[in-house]
Amino acid sequence: MFSKPPRTDEFERAALPHLNDLYRTAARLLGDSARAEDAVQETYLQAWKSFDRFEAGTNCRAWLFKILVHTVFHQRRKWFHWRAVKESEEILEQTAAEPAPVPERMAAEEILRALDGLPADYRAAVVLADVEEFSYKEIAGILHVPIGTVMSRLSRGRKLLRERLSGLARSYGIGRAGEEGSA
Amino acid sequence: MSGAPPNHGCEDAVRRLDAYLANQLETADRREVSRHLETCALCTAELSARRRVREQLQSAVRATQAPPGLEAKVRSVVRSRAASPRTGLWAVAAAAAVIVCIGLAGLWRARSDPEETILRKASGRLAAVLSVGLRDHLQCAVFRKYSKEPVPDSQMAAELGPRFAGLAPLIQAKLPAGFRIIQGHQCSAGGRSYTHLIVSGGGKLVSVILTRRLPGEAFGGGIHQAGVDRFQVVGFDAQGYLAYVVSDVDPGESLQWAANLAPTLREYLDAHAG
Repeated sequence: MFSKPPRTDEFERAALPHLNDLYRTAARLLGDSARAEDAVQETYLQAWKSFDRFEAGTNCRAWLFKILVHTVFHQRRKWFHWRAVKESEEILEQTAAEPAPVPERMAAEEILRALDGLPADYRAAVVLADVEEFSYKEIAGILHVPIGTVMSRLSRGRKLLRERLSGLARSYGIGRAGEEGSA
Repeated sequence: MSGAPPNHGCEDAVRRLDAYLANQLETADRREVSRHLETCALCTAELSARRRVREQLQSAVRATQAPPGLEAKVRSVVRSRAASPRTGLWAVAAAAAVIVCIGLAGLWRARSDPEETILRKASGRLAAVLSVGLRDHLQCAVFRKYSKEPVPDSQMAAELGPRFAGLAPLIQAKLPAGFRIIQGHQCSAGGRSYTHLIVSGGGKLVSVILTRRLPGEAFGGGIHQAGVDRFQVVGFDAQGYLAYVVSDVDPGESLQWAANLAPTLREYLDAHAG
């Protein structure tokens, strides 16, 4: 049973440097700091349990994110407000028109609110690609979906985000007033 | 991308701008986009706008820091697990947890059904823009189990946030006798954010809802009404917002509510622009 020396030091050296990245991603995916903390702890626990199957030299960060996403998606099934995303996507796409320019400088808070308002699947893809800077192929592995799905979620998610940010631009009075109500 | 005739190849380039920024294009594609950008000022401007959004998104998300104690907690969880390897008992507990989760998932699906059924009915009979308000009422006021006891004013103010805390007393003053606001908060449904006041009285439930208008969404003046199932949805534009009164009161009364509340909502939004 104790034939192998404990690998906790090795695990901590490889995995802990990514704690902050995992936490901020969990916070965006779950929209709640307490649940993000739980998800990160659970991620490390699961990672530790399967660390013997993790091969040194492979991408530890992507491996941890894959476990995080799995944990988050498990958690979130229990939560009410993730429902009915599909239909709202359709409504949003029907109503989306040509966006106004995005304002030069927006408060971080406003950007996060726009991001947090995206349907969950799109939000995950956008955060992984545009903030955590994983390649599309890595994201396909993390989300466990085909790369074509990643690309389509990214394209819709980024478009929606831009539209919402330009909605903000309008509410600031930055957009072109003549366009208002033209739909 | 308006105001000048599009350059040859703009469509191709714009479609690939995000992948270009994320450094996810094959060499040949990347070279093609670069070549197009050299000759097209419009696409170059679009590229820098998108780069700006990307950078602002990065700095906004990266500003979130893990709480200071989290790393220590993780270390201690891992070390305690390392010291006591998984036992048979733990595996039984894990199996039991899986069964509980499956049970919960089943419950959850059953609960979501009535809401979806009503929304499906709505999609044929209501303009999409009216469904936006109906969705929040259904999800937040009808199918979520709220305590029927009114929350204290201070809690409501906190849950509405600084911008909308002042709205609740103004709306309360306009309500018919016997009705009062029992909840006020910021919520989200179907991926968008709402400011939501839940009003109750005489066994009726009324939602007063605001949500930021997305590009292209508008009632285009006037007050619009539709009935779906037992619900009445009344909607109108209010500055940068779509405003709704959704309720189970009768159609005439429902319209009266909206007509009473519209000026207050519009004045409030005027005074608290931003």
